[in-house]
Amino acid sequence: MRDLKAVGKKFVHVMYPKKSSALLRDWDLWGPLVLCVSLALMLQGGSADSKDDGGPQFAEVFVIIWFGAVVITLNSKLLGGTISFFQSLCVLGYCVMPLTVAMLVCRLVLLAGAGTVSFIIRLIVVGAMFGWSTLASTAFLADSQPPNRKALVVYPIFLFYFVISWMILTFTPQ
Amino acid sequence: MDSNDDIEDVSLFDADDDVSRRSKKSKIRHPVASFFHLFFRVSAIVVYLLCELLTSSFIACMVTIILLLSCDFWAVKNVTGRLMVGLRWWNQVDDDGRSHWVFEARKVSAQGGKTSSEAESRIFWLGLITCPMIWVIFAFSALFSFKVKWLAVVVMGVVLQGANLYGYIRCKVGSRKNLTSMATSYLGKQFLRQTMATEDQAAS
Repeated sequence: MRDLKAVGKKFVHVMYPKKSSALLRDWDLWGPLVLCVSLALMLQGGSADSKDDGGPQFAEVFVIIWFGAVVITLNSKLLGGTISFFQSLCVLGYCVMPLTVAMLVCRLVLLAGAGTVSFIIRLIVVGAMFGWSTLASTAFLADSQPPNRKALVVYPIFLFYFVISWMILTFTPQ
Repeated sequence: MDSNDDIEDVSLFDADDDVSRRSKKSKIRHPVASFFHLFFRVSAIVVYLLCELLTSSFIACMVTIILLLSCDFWAVKNVTGRLMVGLRWWNQVDDDGRSHWVFEARKVSAQGGKTSSEAESRIFWLGLITCPMIWVIFAFSALFSFKVKWLAVVVMGVVLQGANLYGYIRCKVGSRKNLTSMATSYLGKQFLRQTMATEDQAAS
């Protein structure tokens, strides 16, 4: 129960990104796991019933999120960041949450119907949530970097969330 | 009067029997913990083996296995290790942002009442060591038969269970190594206390 409370607290922290070391102090990977599973499930969505079609894509989302987070973390460690490996992984994982919310909104919009209007709505929602994720994660992570290298750290994070939001935006159930 | 005596006798006998029964039973003192210790890991492996027969949906299988693996990781790390063998490990981050891995073993208590039983620790280590080995075998078989989509699940199994195994081995080794240092520090403390006491006596 205590772990569940900690996970819930971290969700709230991501929704209101402010600089606090409490989130960084005690890391865990439960939240990222839950977010990753739900995101992959929702990206799967419509084609879940077909046998061979859905399989690789589900694992693909998993691998992209975890492998991407590991690579970003290694990058920031190699650049001389003062943050520990798992803390960075934790922050990156939790900051996927706005994108999961965006995915939820997208599915609801797609239920209403597909067209130019719905595409514009999805574009706006995904863009906003993408900005949110990037801002939140950089707010947490940028402090640990030396100031002259900040851009080098932020750029891969930007790319990481960009790929995920691209997957969300281009998703259409068959 | 007579009946009262009888009752007392019976109750005493019962209590005696109960004690003996408990001491027999105490080989496995935490049946629930040892059950779940084995249940999650074994069922993850069983699901992995049988899922292609049972359902055609890859996603349902994968989610089930992931849930089982993460439940197992949580249970073994937070509950069963502490109850069954008295070892635990966790991560701590200090103010500088440096992380410390703490491996801890319960001190052997003087009464001997709290020490873990032999059977329990055997179950614990057996489950802890065999399951990652089975997952490693799965990993190789998935790699060589080019089942790339399964490789993600199997790698996750190997990583989660290997982490637990590594943590507990570190605990075990650390506890053995620390025993001498703990003893010396305990002796030192005792010595200090005695000298303090004698000094107090001398002062008064």
